[in-house]
Amino acid sequence: MNSRQIFLVGFFLLFLTTLAMAETPREIVQKADQLWHGKSSYSVGSMTVINPNWRRKISMKAWMLEPDYALILITAPARDKGIVTLKRKNEIWNWIPSIQRVIKIPPSMMLQPWMGSDFTNDDLVRESSMVNDYTQSLSGEEKIGGRLCYRIKLTPKPEAGVVWGKVIVWISKVGYLELKAEFFDEEGTLVKTMLASRVRKMGGRTIPTHLEMIPQNKPGHKTVLDYQKLKFNIKIRPSFFSVQNMKRVR
Amino acid sequence: MYFVLSWRNLWRNKKRTLIAATSIFFAVILAIIMRSMQNGSYAYMIRSSVKFYTGYLQIQAKGYWDNRSLDRSIVIDQKDLQAISRIPHVSVAVPRLEAFSLVSHRTFTKVAQIVGIDPTAENGLTDLKKRLVQGSYLTRSSKGILLAQGLARMLRVHVGDSLVIYGQGYHGMIAAARLPIEGIVKFPISDLNNGMVYVTLPNAQYIFSAPGRMTSLAIMIDNPKNQDGVKKALVSRFGKNYTIMTWQQMMPDLVQSIEMDNASGLVMLAILYIVIAFGIFGTIMMMTTERSKEFGILISVGMKRAKLILVTAMEILLLAFSGALTGALVSIPIISYFFHHPIPISGSAAHAFDMMGLEPVFHFSRDPILFFHQAIVVFLIALAAELYPLFFVGNLDPVKAVRD
Amino acid sequence: MLLSLAWKNVWRNKKRSLIIIAAIGLGLWGSLFAGAVWMGWGESMVDSAIDRDLAHIQIHQANYLQDKIIRNFIPNGFQVLQECRHITGVQAVSGRTLIEAMAASPASNFGVKIVGIVPEQARQVTDIHKRLIAGNYFESDPKNPVVIGKKLADRLNLRLKSKIVLSFQGLDGTFNYVACRIVGIYKTESKFFDESHVFMKQSDLFRLLNSSPILHEIAIRAKSSQLMPIVEQTAKTRFPDLSVKTWKELAPGIAITSATMESFTYMFIMIILFALLFGITNTMLMAVMERFRELGVLIAVGMKQGRIFSMILLETIMLSLTGGIIGFLLGAGTIAYTTQKGIDFSAFASGLASFGASTIVHPILPLEMYIALPIMIIFTASISAILPAWKAIHIQPADAVRIY
Repeated sequence: MNSRQIFLVGFFLLFLTTLAMAETPREIVQKADQLWHGKSSYSVGSMTVINPNWRRKISMKAWMLEPDYALILITAPARDKGIVTLKRKNEIWNWIPSIQRVIKIPPSMMLQPWMGSDFTNDDLVRESSMVNDYTQSLSGEEKIGGRLCYRIKLTPKPEAGVVWGKVIVWISKVGYLELKAEFFDEEGTLVKTMLASRVRKMGGRTIPTHLEMIPQNKPGHKTVLDYQKLKFNIKIRPSFFSVQNMKRVR
Repeated sequence: MYFVLSWRNLWRNKKRTLIAATSIFFAVILAIIMRSMQNGSYAYMIRSSVKFYTGYLQIQAKGYWDNRSLDRSIVIDQKDLQAISRIPHVSVAVPRLEAFSLVSHRTFTKVAQIVGIDPTAENGLTDLKKRLVQGSYLTRSSKGILLAQGLARMLRVHVGDSLVIYGQGYHGMIAAARLPIEGIVKFPISDLNNGMVYVTLPNAQYIFSAPGRMTSLAIMIDNPKNQDGVKKALVSRFGKNYTIMTWQQMMPDLVQSIEMDNASGLVMLAILYIVIAFGIFGTIMMMTTERSKEFGILISVGMKRAKLILVTAMEILLLAFSGALTGALVSIPIISYFFHHPIPISGSAAHAFDMMGLEPVFHFSRDPILFFHQAIVVFLIALAAELYPLFFVGNLDPVKAVRD
Repeated sequence: MLLSLAWKNVWRNKKRSLIIIAAIGLGLWGSLFAGAVWMGWGESMVDSAIDRDLAHIQIHQANYLQDKIIRNFIPNGFQVLQECRHITGVQAVSGRTLIEAMAASPASNFGVKIVGIVPEQARQVTDIHKRLIAGNYFESDPKNPVVIGKKLADRLNLRLKSKIVLSFQGLDGTFNYVACRIVGIYKTESKFFDESHVFMKQSDLFRLLNSSPILHEIAIRAKSSQLMPIVEQTAKTRFPDLSVKTWKELAPGIAITSATMESFTYMFIMIILFALLFGITNTMLMAVMERFRELGVLIAVGMKQGRIFSMILLETIMLSLTGGIIGFLLGAGTIAYTTQKGIDFSAFASGLASFGASTIVHPILPLEMYIALPIMIIFTASISAILPAWKAIHIQPADAVRIY
């Protein structure tokens, strides 16, 4: 379950007109998850990395064709402007205009931070699925940010390549918005928390536009994502996501 | 009066005195040689190890050693640097900014350690210039890089090609640069040979967005005995904000192995002492029994036994003292010679040393303490041997002795 | 006749002779034992490395050691493996599939090397299965069992039965993320090894890689180190296109320390012999002086100089031989006793561990030394006899007889 998918689930939701009757936890999660698989999107947003000593803000544009393709263009600050990250299936490339080079990220760097944030290159790439890599069980209801949510426990399947011992997600009963997620190791210690808020209407949908990823053992650290613009079901083809296009995209 | 008597006694039988004295003389020389060789090896091991990378001391940000992130870097300005070089016994201060990044050429990409250095200072510590095998060494104004040979091979690059560096800089900034390769360096240790990339410090600071910063300042000292003094001076100036690490803290395994070596060295020394002790004892015993007639007569004509013991004791004391002293003095030029011309190691051991970048020789130590210690020990051994003659004289039956 | 005379002379002054004999005996014993400990230490270092992972000989694809990528597997690896079993002198072989990977836990991640093995094979070549501090060696049954080192477990904050996620790239470039279970934790003397080697079953690895079975490394254990060169030769001839290397070529650093021990031991013995030389010379000089009159009489009566010289020489040699035999027996005895039991050096454990030696050292002395040392002692003794003997033959009979 990668962090990007979690926040994207928050974004790309269909507004349900009817409440499902006696949904299984799996179905709830499936809906939350499915709501954006198979879709394409274009977004404009920013990522802020916050540390006790410094903070850094990157503005970007992102094109996605789920599940295999993504292209992220950095638009600010000036020093990083023009840097592009391209994901094709399980591989990542970076285009760095200042040195006019395309670099393929080798496996040993996959777990290194992406653009200095708390996300790793691996997070951008991982295919793990809330639905398929875990078994789901409902463990109650709770209010998050004023909305009543299903509280669902996700337990990794034995062979699933996820480090977590368990994940708990809070999905709103209305709208299937994933508003909170907690990640635990196998001993039950909380390792990181994801919080989504500022639910707005964007690109025809109601979605949380502010996401925070907070690691538990690094006080004062967090990574924040904000979305300013979103379009769904854009016309885009896999050929857009090419190494050549990395250099051209604006 | 007794002193004069003892002195005359010694010279009465020159041969005997000389033989006894020489046994002590040679014992001291041998003990000094052995200890000098042992200490010389340790000193050399330590010096080679610290010259390899760490230096004797390092100034670092608190917590840097456990987590080598660029974010834990320090600032040492010109004023500070000058103050540091003025600390007595500091021979060179070596700033570094280190980070690991990707390096790439065409389609080959590898992870490497990028080190921003002051070319002169770095050479002063690690003799980096000597490791140059192609191209030229970095100068203050160089824009290019020095690349480790193994890495150059893996990336299929040569002097003149350009290399891309890409990674994360200070405070999460992206670090990206394309730089020409100015020289290739070779290390005997494959880890270093496959991973090091050197640029000038200002260049690294620019690439990694860390102006004026460094990850460590390594300090080289002229004589390791002065380490504590230098550390104190550094702590008083920088201790509040930074950590001062010693090589012992940075290489604890080396400390342990030297201690073990030292322990086995002491055992060897002990065995030597035992052999020496027997030699001295034998000589003194011989000397004493030989004079039993003389002692017998003296006692018979009325010399108080106690006085005889006293005189004999002084004889042996003088003997031991002069033997030890001359031994120590004569060993000085011997050790000096070996200090400048260390004994070479031969055979497969020599080859192996070469491969590790170490000189295949037995080094000697010139530390004056050495001479004192060993001379004193042998002197003490001689004194212990002295107990025999005293005992002998004490129990001598003068009648039997005279009759021989 | 001269022989029995010499022998009788030796025992005429019991005290003196006993002292010399003791000196020689102890000196020889000390040297033999110290030498054995040093050599044993060196051996244990070598054995540790060989048993842990190196084995005697390793076979790779020609380019593998330069470029350790997954594609450089041994062509027809399993066939080569089979053939190796039948080479004379081979005790056991173990095939290994090596993959660079990342190991991740909720707490942290680290770069590792996955070693795909067949446990029954690996057991016969390495001893990791004997070094488990927790769990078992692939005897329990969860999915994707792995055995990791303690250092890695600590780094990732994992324990027995924890999940560890390994990610690696397959032959076709696709990424695999696999959840594995830790069934065993091992600890060797090398923290570096423990941190980077993750053992997995080959069958699991091939399934996950979704590839046909491949091998990157074949490790061979010879029946003894003497047979190693023969095995190497045979392998080289049979597989001319593959890289066949002995442990000495693969890990020269270990070969050094072992060879150095031998050098140091000889150096030490030289010094002990010097000490003995002086000691014996002195004592014999004393002896000659003591028998001044008697020798003078012998010369006056007509005994040839040559005979006197030989007599003194023989005395010295007999003394030394006696001492030598005692020292030899003591030395051989203590070595034989401790060879089995071993000596525990755990006080210095940390330093030794960094060198890869176990804390229990089994003193062992190569056969050459058992022969070389006594010969050196006798030689030394003979040399030390020269001066006293020379003195003896130059005694003026007139002077000798005159002394009362």
